[in-house]
Amino acid sequence: MAVTICGMPSLTCQPLPRQSMSDALKGTWMDRALLLLALLAIVAIWFGIQAQIAAGPARAEIYHADTLLATYPLPQQGEKPIHFQVEGDIGLVNILIDAAGARITSSTCVTQRCVLSGTHRHAGDMIACVPNRVLISLRGSAASRFDAIVE
Amino acid sequence: MKSIVLPRPELAELQAKARWLALLMLAIGLHVFESSLPSLGPWFKPGLANLVTLLVLVWMGPRAAITLAISRIIVGAFFIGTLFTPTFVISMAGGLAATLVMIIAWRWFTGISLVGISLLGALAHMLGQFMTVEYLFIQQTALYYALPPLLLVSCISGWINGALAGYIAARLKPDDL
Repeated sequence: MAVTICGMPSLTCQPLPRQSMSDALKGTWMDRALLLLALLAIVAIWFGIQAQIAAGPARAEIYHADTLLATYPLPQQGEKPIHFQVEGDIGLVNILIDAAGARITSSTCVTQRCVLSGTHRHAGDMIACVPNRVLISLRGSAASRFDAIVE
Repeated sequence: MKSIVLPRPELAELQAKARWLALLMLAIGLHVFESSLPSLGPWFKPGLANLVTLLVLVWMGPRAAITLAISRIIVGAFFIGTLFTPTFVISMAGGLAATLVMIIAWRWFTGISLVGISLLGALAHMLGQFMTVEYLFIQQTALYYALPPLLLVSCISGWINGALAGYIAARLKPDDL
């Protein structure tokens, strides 16, 4: 049984064939072509980015809006941790960089997701507090792995 | 004394508005529910509320879909306490980008099903959010380093949501609501 779905009055009603969930998941050839195109683009972008972020020693770059505030090498085990404070747009953001990686220890944003996202250490990882316009980007020779941008 | 007779709307018109409002309530509920889920990444959500936008698009047309998306984001942000914050701006940009791309795909792409429309919508949503953040808040290209894995997750969520929308749309008529 086909159910007729009507869109705008000016458009022709299109019958949607009744199908199982597994059939619905298959999509049409056009859907699959779009998915393939999207996946190829994602892979190409991914390799391009990896080539950029893996160069040089492991380090944390701290930005506020369009300004690079500081760059620190990631401390090794036993080295002194680095405390950094940024005056963000809505208040102070406290950053700690130690042997475990970089993290935001406190922020004045509402959701606190940047704080809750925890510690990040791998090249390509980043932490962003959007309301404060603060970004921490980790780069350099470490195993690349995605982490999070959070508010 | 003359009595004023107010024009009464047609019953069918009232029913259509009631259906749209019911779907808006559902979308707001899903929006609030998604915001309470543990974060899987930057601004990433499963996109269940967008599924309702897609259903409204095929049932009621582009105008109803775009007003539903805008209303859902405003009322949803009001409930979760992010109204007029950067989160709200990012959410609005992503929601509008997704809805506009889905409308274009639905009207002009031949051979595409709700799965493909939803896939394009999910990708547009993520790209819209990143571009908004880069343009308005953090002017750093380093921001885009996080984009590929998130686009990959968007592909998966968009595909599943599209299949769900197709499954629902093939079984439920707007009149059943």
